[in-house]
Amino acid sequence: MAMVRVAVDQELCIGGGICEMLEPEVFELDDDIVIASVIGDGLLPRNRADVVVDRCPSRAISVVEQEQ
Amino acid sequence: MTSSAVVEGPNVTEPSLYLQGIPHDRFAELRAIDGLAWHPYEDGGFWAVTRHADVRYVSRNPELFSSAIGHTNLWDLEADALEARRSLIDTDAPDHTRLRRLVAGAFTPKNIRRWEETVRAITVELLDEFVAQGGGDWVDMVAAPLPIQVILTMLGVPVEDADYLVELSNYLVEGTGDAQSIPPDAFGNTTELRLLPFNSPASHALFEYGEGMRQQRQSDPQDDLVSHLVQAESDDDERMSRSEYRNMFHLLVFAGNETTRTAISHGGLALAANPGEWQRVLDDPALIESATEEILRWATPILHMRRTATTDTEVAGTPIAEGDKVVMWYASANRDEAVFEDASRFDIGRFGAGRTDSDHFAFGGGGPHLCLGAFLARLEVTVLLEEMAKRSIGLEQTSEPVRARSNFVHGVLSVGMQPSIVR
Repeated sequence: MAMVRVAVDQELCIGGGICEMLEPEVFELDDDIVIASVIGDGLLPRNRADVVVDRCPSRAISVVEQEQ
Repeated sequence: MTSSAVVEGPNVTEPSLYLQGIPHDRFAELRAIDGLAWHPYEDGGFWAVTRHADVRYVSRNPELFSSAIGHTNLWDLEADALEARRSLIDTDAPDHTRLRRLVAGAFTPKNIRRWEETVRAITVELLDEFVAQGGGDWVDMVAAPLPIQVILTMLGVPVEDADYLVELSNYLVEGTGDAQSIPPDAFGNTTELRLLPFNSPASHALFEYGEGMRQQRQSDPQDDLVSHLVQAESDDDERMSRSEYRNMFHLLVFAGNETTRTAISHGGLALAANPGEWQRVLDDPALIESATEEILRWATPILHMRRTATTDTEVAGTPIAEGDKVVMWYASANRDEAVFEDASRFDIGRFGAGRTDSDHFAFGGGGPHLCLGAFLARLEVTVLLEEMAKRSIGLEQTSEPVRARSNFVHGVLSVGMQPSIVR
C-alpha cells in the first residue's frame, strides 16, 4: 500500500475528534483549543488516509503528498 | 419547487403515525422511486431524502444545504423566532464553528473516556435496583435516569433535579408533535410560544433553570461545563452571547438526555425481542461494540433533520430550487438495503468485533453537525451492555411500549421489562 501524507486545515477543524479516534498515531487534538494537528511525519497508507479524510465532519483533512 | 414527483401514500409527517412506530414500509416505497419524492407538508412541502447515499450527500454539503435558513425542523420560523431560538443546531459556519469549538473539548473521545467510571457507577446503581425490584418500567428505571444523571454531572447541575429536567424534556418532545398537554402559561411562561424551542412553555422553564445556573457559576466558578460556558459568555472576546448561552444550555440538557434515553429504550425492546442476538454477545463479549452500534442504528433516536437549499442544485438527479426544504430521514437511511444487508433484521454482530467506525446515521449523516455527544452516547450504551453481560441477565418485555407522538423524536415513554437469567 502506497503511503501518503495528510494535513489538517485548522481553520476548518471543529474538534470532532474522529481523526484522533481512528488514527491516534497521526492526529492529536489540542486539549485547550480543541483543534487537531498532525503529529510525527503524518504518513498513512492510502486506504486508511481515505477513510479519515472521508469521516472528518468538517472536511478539514486532506492528502497533501503522495509518498514516492 | 421545480418539479413534482409527488408520491401518493401515507404522510410520514403525521405525528400520530409514530404511536405505532416508524412507518418503515412507507419509507421503503420512498427509497425505491427514482430521484427524490416531493412530500406535502402544511401549505407547501419538502424533498424527502430517504436513501443512505443521498442523506450522506446533503448532510456533508452544508454550503448547498443550510441549517441557518428557515429552520431545521419541518416548519419555517419567522426571523425573530429563528434568532431567539438559534442554537448549535441552527447555524452554519462561521457561527457554528465558533459555538461548536466552545463545547467540543468536553466531548472528544479522549475526554469522554475520562467519564467511564462515573457512567459505570451510575449504571451499576440503576441496574442493581432494576434487578432487585424484579423489573418495572425500563424507561423510568434505566433508560431515562442513566443519560440525564451523566449529562447533569458533566454540566455541574445538581443530580437531585434530574426528575424535573426529564419532565421538562418530555414536554419538549410533546412540542415536536401536535398535542402539547400543558397550557401556554405553564411554568410561569409569558413568552410567545413561537419564540421558544419546540414552541413549548417547558423551554421557558429550561431557560430559567439555565439562567439560575449561569448566575451561580458566575459568582462561584467550578470545574464543570456550565462554568466553562459562563466564562465564554462573560469574557471580553464575545465568544458567546447571552442568547447563545441559554440555547446551548437548553440543547445540552435536552439532547444529552432525550436521545440516549431513546437509544436505551429501543435497545431494551430489541434485546427482549431478540434473545438469541443477546446470547451471541454473552457468548462473545468482543461483539459489545457492534451491539452498541446496532442498537444505535435500530433506535435512530432523531428521525430526521431539515436543511434548506442555498442555491438551485440537484440531488439524485432531481432539480432542487433555492429555498426548497430538504429533509434527511435518518430513520429511512438506517434501513437502506444498499448499505445494510437484511436491514430490517436486528443483527447484533452486524458491525463486526471491535468495530467503532460504523456507517449508520444515528448521529446524523456526517458533516459539521455530526452529533456532539456521539462518543458519550456510545460509552453509555456500551457500559450498560457490559454490566448486563456481567450479571448474565437479559430482558423480558412485560407490557407494550407507549411511544411518543412525534415525527422528530423516536421516543418511548414507558415499557415494562423484567430481568431474565440467561445462563
